[in-house]
Amino acid sequence: MTRAAEDVVLRGVEKRFGDVTAVAAVDLEVRAGELLVLVGPSGCGKSTLLRLVAGLEEPTAGEVWIGGRAVNDEAPGDRDVAMVFQSYALYPHMTVARNLGFGLRVRGTGRDEVAERVGRAADVLGLGDLLDRRPGQLSGGQQQRVALGRAMVRDPGVFLFDEPLSNLDAGLRLRTRDEIAALHRRLGTTMIFVTHDQVEALSLGQRVAVMDRGRIQQVGTPREIYRRPANLFVAGFVGSPPINMLPLACTRHGRLAGGPFVFPGTSPHPAATLAVRPEDLTITVGSPPTPAHPHGTSAHTSPTPAHPPAYTGIPPDPSVIPPGFTPGAAPDPSSPPPPFTATVRRVESLGSEQRVHLDGPAGAAWVARTSPAHPATPGDTVQVTVAWGRAHLFGPDGVRIGTPPTPTVTGGHD
Amino acid sequence: MRGRPNPAALRAAATAATGIGLALILGVTAGTVNRVRDEAAGDVGRMAAALWELPGGGEAAVTAFLAERATIEAVRTDGARTGAGAHAYRTGELEPAAWIAVAPGGQGRTWPHLPATLALSGLLLMTAWAVARRRSPPSPRFPTIPALIASLLLAATAVAATGRTHRLLADLTTERATHGARAAEVALAHGADHGQARRAAGLPPAITPAPAATPAPSGTPTPSATPTPSTLTTPSQPVTPSDLLDALPGYEDTRSPAIPLTAAAAASSLATALLLFLLPLSTRPRTLRRTLTAWSFLTPAAVLLLLFTFGPLLFSLWISLHEWHLVDRVHPFTGLDNYLTLTLDGQWWSAILNTAVFTLHVPFAMAVALGLALLTRGSRRAVRWARLALFLPGITSVVAIAVVWKWLLDDGYGLVNRALEGVGIRSVPWLTSPDTALVTLMAISVWMVVGYQMVVFQAGLAAIPRDWYDAARVDGAGPLQRFRHITLPGLRHTLFFVLVTSVIGSFQVFGLVYVMTEGGPLGATDVAVYHIYREAWEFLRFGNAAAMSWVLFAVVFAATWLHFRFLERRWAHA
Repeated sequence: MTRAAEDVVLRGVEKRFGDVTAVAAVDLEVRAGELLVLVGPSGCGKSTLLRLVAGLEEPTAGEVWIGGRAVNDEAPGDRDVAMVFQSYALYPHMTVARNLGFGLRVRGTGRDEVAERVGRAADVLGLGDLLDRRPGQLSGGQQQRVALGRAMVRDPGVFLFDEPLSNLDAGLRLRTRDEIAALHRRLGTTMIFVTHDQVEALSLGQRVAVMDRGRIQQVGTPREIYRRPANLFVAGFVGSPPINMLPLACTRHGRLAGGPFVFPGTSPHPAATLAVRPEDLTITVGSPPTPAHPHGTSAHTSPTPAHPPAYTGIPPDPSVIPPGFTPGAAPDPSSPPPPFTATVRRVESLGSEQRVHLDGPAGAAWVARTSPAHPATPGDTVQVTVAWGRAHLFGPDGVRIGTPPTPTVTGGHD
Repeated sequence: MRGRPNPAALRAAATAATGIGLALILGVTAGTVNRVRDEAAGDVGRMAAALWELPGGGEAAVTAFLAERATIEAVRTDGARTGAGAHAYRTGELEPAAWIAVAPGGQGRTWPHLPATLALSGLLLMTAWAVARRRSPPSPRFPTIPALIASLLLAATAVAATGRTHRLLADLTTERATHGARAAEVALAHGADHGQARRAAGLPPAITPAPAATPAPSGTPTPSATPTPSTLTTPSQPVTPSDLLDALPGYEDTRSPAIPLTAAAAASSLATALLLFLLPLSTRPRTLRRTLTAWSFLTPAAVLLLLFTFGPLLFSLWISLHEWHLVDRVHPFTGLDNYLTLTLDGQWWSAILNTAVFTLHVPFAMAVALGLALLTRGSRRAVRWARLALFLPGITSVVAIAVVWKWLLDDGYGLVNRALEGVGIRSVPWLTSPDTALVTLMAISVWMVVGYQMVVFQAGLAAIPRDWYDAARVDGAGPLQRFRHITLPGLRHTLFFVLVTSVIGSFQVFGLVYVMTEGGPLGATDVAVYHIYREAWEFLRFGNAAAMSWVLFAVVFAATWLHFRFLERRWAHA
């Protein structure tokens, strides 16, 4: 029943509303059969981009290609796309059945075929009992499924979703997310899904495009987006709690330094930003473990007393030394990186994890995600170890430089 | 009073409200009887005055007429003031009672047994109830029995008082008739003619057709005298009490206290019921305070509504059941006669038909308004000016519009016909031909209401979510399909509202007709409200006019109900 999926290509697409540029010169390729998620903060232009694909807006410049056709001059109804709206946009005066069949009826599809295709979509989505109801008599989740069904019935080459889950409660949102993923597997149609929720984006998308201020900041798999953010915006936008950051500056010796950290090697950049994910911090309550006696004073509270898992899991790799850095007198890669000292401000216990809010390096507010097995208490002085192999360095322009080399820690015993 | 309201005080207040009502009823009764007794004395005084003024009359006639009942002060004390007194009487400056004092007749000031007994026993019952319950806490329910007793007693007292007053007034009427006959008799005995005798009896001059065989009093006919259409004549028959009873409206008809008594009883019942309603709330001060606050906000509007909406409504219903001419003092009850007459009144039904035809302009206006609303969406400058221009007729005085259009459409000098002649088209009798006048009015009415309807439609259009249009566009619906499937269903409540209000407004059209055609030509534009207006203010038949108003109300109500029955339900689920 399903037609071949179609690819969507945007070339230099731009949309301006008066003086406001909503979408600025976007190049994007959505492969046939792919589920691509457009994610970004509100006002970043992601919905406008989707409407440009649908044909509800006309681009100020650039071209939209769907299935190998340039569709700039085609009406929305002729583009072989179907769209699910945030408000669902169900026609309130029509029954569910008539809502589902509307797109077919206005195209003059025969009555029997409409009934058959509506019935099939209703079966897939479990709407069989609701066909005679009106949208006002349905729950939010049911309305959402009708909106999905209305898109499905048309059997389009491309599905467009404009934040379809944001009006649902948390539990229903998770379930519907799974349903959409299952639907995508089943239909194999190209889907473009717009959301402002980065968790939704990472969990649903085969590829994720992160947008900000009308531009696409990075396109990649969820893992790429999370593990190798292309720039500071992506690093900060993706992840919850957000990534920890620390501004670094060049010392007289040409080394990057910030807080207690001094990075080895000479930096070609005058300044940089260090970013570490909360789960890449390891916390040890008490005084720092001495390299000579790793099973010392902290053994009773530390999750892995001698070698924190973040450290042991990711051994520093010489190849990750960012380009441009002149290797200096790096610490011995086989010894654990030195911790720094911080104070616990607040602890969030979430059951499966705890979030420890720290007065981090140079007073920055950092958050560590740790196992709840080793509770921390506000006011504790703790030793924090960074898994440097998973940390990021961003240049002054915000673009990722790479993984920093393991620094030396000064004043860690204060 | 922020403290806890005292149930005993509320009971006392309710009792007092009933008591005040009862006292009012008795007071109005006594006041009415006394006033009419004085009036009757005045009427007798006027008869005496007429006897005094007879050529052969004077004090002797008055004394013969009234014997010891009258005191002719002015004459007895100072002859010079007689003329002044007579003059004052003629010009109405002084009541005859000031000149010829007549002792009031009737049975004197009797105790109104039945109403007073009723009132007293009612008051006693209420007081006993209030005293007996003074220490017990109020029950949580509305005290039905005291409220019922109070209302029943008030009603019974009012009915009894009305009955008694009617009897007393009827007695006074009879007494006046007897005196009138006596005055006529005395006048004739003192050499007056029958006309003078009638005047002495308080009767208006009789009007009979001119050619009636009336012997000329002096016997000197003037051949050149043309017969006047009607003339004062003198019936040769003596005046009898039954003549007077027939010819003069009875006091019980013209001075009936029924309406004030009913109002007093109703108001007092209402006040008692309201106070008793507060009684169960007095144990819940918060609820009581909320209730009182709510009522204090509602009362001004409720009073205005009662006085100026429901009051006149009920009054017109009352009028419609009577033969009610503006100049008559007596309004006989005729039941449904006015309504029965109406059913056979061809002119009335033709007015209703004209109104119905006129109403056909509404759907046309709505279609135009919807088109304009779709055309003038947005906020461009030209569009805003267009909207203003279209809306202006809706906020302009109907009379001003009507005057200007009447001038524009005049057969002789009207600009429209001049323009038509200018381009070689024969002029059209816009308002002067029965074939065109109603259609012309309909066209002007369309022009007047389109702007308002357009604005309402625009509000309705703005309320249709853009997502529906977007979804329909993605679904492949063209502009016409979007209008059919999104715009019209989205506007259905607005359409219904505009339809119902416009139809009602159209049934009430008056100003245009009044100013432009006055119902003509040949009744072609005689619409219902204009017909009612003429019936009331031109022919002064208020009873008929009120009945017509209620029939019109029924027609409008039925039309609106049909709308709701057949359109709203269908549109709501369309």
